[in-house]
Amino acid sequence: MKHRLLAIPLLLAGLNLSLSALADEFNADDLKRWQAGFMSTVKSGEKLFHGGINNPNTMSCDQCHPNAANTHPETYPKFQQQLGKVAVLGEMINWCIRNPLKGKPLALDSDDMAALQAYITWERRGVALAPGKH
Amino acid sequence: MSKYSRRDFLRKASVLAAAGTLPISLVEVAFGESHPKNFTFAFISDSHITQTKGNNFVENWDRGLRRSVAECNLLDPRPDFIIYGGDIAQLGKPEEIDHGLDILAGLRGDVRYVMGEHDYYLDLGSHWRKRLGPERYSFDHKDVHFVVLNSILTYPEWTHKQWDGGMQRMLQMARLDNPHGSPFMVGDEQRQWLQADLAKIDKATPVVVFSHSPIQKIYKGWNFWTDDAEQVQALLKPFDKATVIYGHVHQIQYNQIDNISFHAVMATAWPWPYPSTYKQAESHLAKLTVPMNRADPFFERDATGWQFIDMHSGNVDLRYVLPGNTSRRVAFDEEAGRPMDTRYQGAMARIPPRNHY
Amino acid sequence: MKLFMLTGSALAILLSQTVRAEPLARISHRPFTAAAQWHALTGVRSVGMLDVVSATPARPSVANVSHAAPLNYLATNAGEKSWLGLPPVPIPANNPQTPEKIELGDRLFHDARLSADGKVSCSTCHDAKKAFTDHKPVSTGFRNLNGTRNAPTVLNSAYMKTLFWDGREPDLEGQSMQPPINPVEGGLADHQPLLAVIRADETYPTAFKKVFGVSTQDIRMEQVAKAIASFERTLVSGDSPFDRWRYGGQTYALSKAQQRGFKVFVGNGRCVSCHRIEQTQALFMDNRFHNIGIGFKKIRGREFTVAEAFIKAKHAGADVDKTVLMEKDASELGRFAVTEGLNEVGTFKTPTLRNIALTQPYMHDGSLKTLADTVEFYNNGGRLKEDDPVSPFLSGGIRPLNLSDQEKQDLVEFLRSLSSPEIAKATGE
Repeated sequence: MKHRLLAIPLLLAGLNLSLSALADEFNADDLKRWQAGFMSTVKSGEKLFHGGINNPNTMSCDQCHPNAANTHPETYPKFQQQLGKVAVLGEMINWCIRNPLKGKPLALDSDDMAALQAYITWERRGVALAPGKH
Repeated sequence: MSKYSRRDFLRKASVLAAAGTLPISLVEVAFGESHPKNFTFAFISDSHITQTKGNNFVENWDRGLRRSVAECNLLDPRPDFIIYGGDIAQLGKPEEIDHGLDILAGLRGDVRYVMGEHDYYLDLGSHWRKRLGPERYSFDHKDVHFVVLNSILTYPEWTHKQWDGGMQRMLQMARLDNPHGSPFMVGDEQRQWLQADLAKIDKATPVVVFSHSPIQKIYKGWNFWTDDAEQVQALLKPFDKATVIYGHVHQIQYNQIDNISFHAVMATAWPWPYPSTYKQAESHLAKLTVPMNRADPFFERDATGWQFIDMHSGNVDLRYVLPGNTSRRVAFDEEAGRPMDTRYQGAMARIPPRNHY
Repeated sequence: MKLFMLTGSALAILLSQTVRAEPLARISHRPFTAAAQWHALTGVRSVGMLDVVSATPARPSVANVSHAAPLNYLATNAGEKSWLGLPPVPIPANNPQTPEKIELGDRLFHDARLSADGKVSCSTCHDAKKAFTDHKPVSTGFRNLNGTRNAPTVLNSAYMKTLFWDGREPDLEGQSMQPPINPVEGGLADHQPLLAVIRADETYPTAFKKVFGVSTQDIRMEQVAKAIASFERTLVSGDSPFDRWRYGGQTYALSKAQQRGFKVFVGNGRCVSCHRIEQTQALFMDNRFHNIGIGFKKIRGREFTVAEAFIKAKHAGADVDKTVLMEKDASELGRFAVTEGLNEVGTFKTPTLRNIALTQPYMHDGSLKTLADTVEFYNNGGRLKEDDPVSPFLSGGIRPLNLSDQEKQDLVEFLRSLSSPEIAKATGE
């Protein structure tokens, strides 16, 4: 009986868990997993960006934006002439899908939109935020 | 004084100020460079005609090419010839090449063609050669020696890999930011041909090379690159004056390396960002390039265009005709010994859209 | 050539220094007084006029000049707010607004004696009762001669960076000097007869003396131009139902159809590309030139010959203003006639859409009669019929839109919401 009771805290210790860690005290493993999850979305976004968006013009985002260059994600939200208002990155992405590509826009809260934005911002990592900049 | 009106003043001022957009005849007279050996030729490039389905093509690229042809046909006096700088097609399909050539057939004048990678890698140039003849050749015109290279070849091992059909190879080359791409080059055999061709030419004769790739090493990640650039440049070094005019990059670039001037031309289809705007890698674009205006995506013809070149004394004076934008003029400056933008070279003359970030 | 230019620039400097900069008369520091004056004149309660600080008073009525209902004289200097939905009117430093100058300009604008047959004034083609247009496809002037171009509205032209369909004049002052000496407009050979009429008039010399400090013999066309431009800078209208809805927070100012139409305007219709709407204001124009395919059929296949002939004539001294208004072919060259840019063949200036429902017919040649026709033209991608050939010089952005019938109707409804109530009232709409 005693050794069984002992086994539980030992087991928990082995799993690097503690019965007292109730708050969001994430650890190195968590970070690794979450980053991996993010990078897998970046990868999906890369696929979408490079020919993965169905459109009658058979075009892909990378044709005009190799490595997502010239997308300037760090400048959103910003006023966009073509939308007649201050817009977020997703709205601009949809503008591109609808106009040069003549495709159907994505829902702003869809997985595909999240993936595209993940890829676009990943390729722009390290650049300081400059909201509103033209 | 009484006859002199503000309107006259404006008119005269605008005539001179618009020197970058004037037909050639007026410019020659104004600058007194009239000479029987001066001549002009037009340069249209990178139309990327794309078939969507059957007899349908991406309208945007069709329109870009049609517009350049229509505007080029307005040049007066007529240019001596027209060069097409490569990438007629997007994926090198016979339908695309043929459709592009149909549109180019509307040009009033003789056209000579330069091979682009998008024309080549589907069938290794078979349809191109059938329609247009050799991919590399030279010709002389009014005491200038012109050479056309196929500078988008690559390592034979890559070209002749076990591809799952030509289209797979073409798609790999079509993707600019392809991490599994292969760099462009002129190649040993062609360099030997070039050497033999140039050996017959007097070193005082100006040489102009038409190439699709830049014959420089600008940014490997996007194949703004010619792997044997130094070796090709070495072949041009003995000449008093050499110029390389290249397509592929879809943006304004210019440079001077020793005796060789380099000029990039605009695409009729779409612009590409400058490599420096990709922040995760290093690139090397000549500092003296005054960039094109950053494209406004809302106007499809923005940051596209074509060009006409004024050749005098072996020097290139290149005028960019840019829809919806002020035309640009990049000319060889004798004093500075290199190409310069005739209006915007100074930092103070630039406007915000020329700040690429 | 160079001497000419030097003389010209010296002249320009002289000009700007001889006109005294007069301060704008601050008649009313109490907003409600100006509003009361306005109400007394027009019966209209001034809604949507933000922060009225200074106002020029209404013109005292002058017996021998007839003119339409007075418009809002609330043009203010830069930095002060004006109409809802509009930025402050830009006033050039060398031509500040004064009540007397505006009044003088108003008189000149409506004075038909300033033409070859005494029948053509600015208001002949820019009639206040017709939203400052003439509701004709192309205008008729001296001896009922037809021009080649549609008279644009003067309303809100103060915001334009170039004037005329092809932008051949940089400001209102410059624009006003051309029609009197155009053979199909004012018909005068030069400005001298016009100046003679002014000098001989009973009251003009006094007004010119007061406004410009010049003696009768020294009255020049530049001053006439400045006065007219000053008046035109008061012809500003915002505060349309669209403005109240978009910038005034009045959610019911637009009908449901109009709100749907707005979505088309900024969405599938792509109108906002050139007819600009911004976060806090909307001019509905972009000060740029575009080829949208109007008139392409007229010189199709002959663009080279027409362009070549025009350039030759121009360099031999032919006047651009006269040529484009008298020769139909040359008129189709658009901005190319001014800049000779190969990239500007057949491009024309984007006009504002404010009051567009009141300024028919449309386009540089007046070829589109109704708003529905216009929407159809754009929907077809820059042509009258779906299978018409497309101009190779078409600007980027013009393409088939594939709008549904509902979308087209809603769009037209939205365009109707851009009319300022005061203007609509003046046109009897």
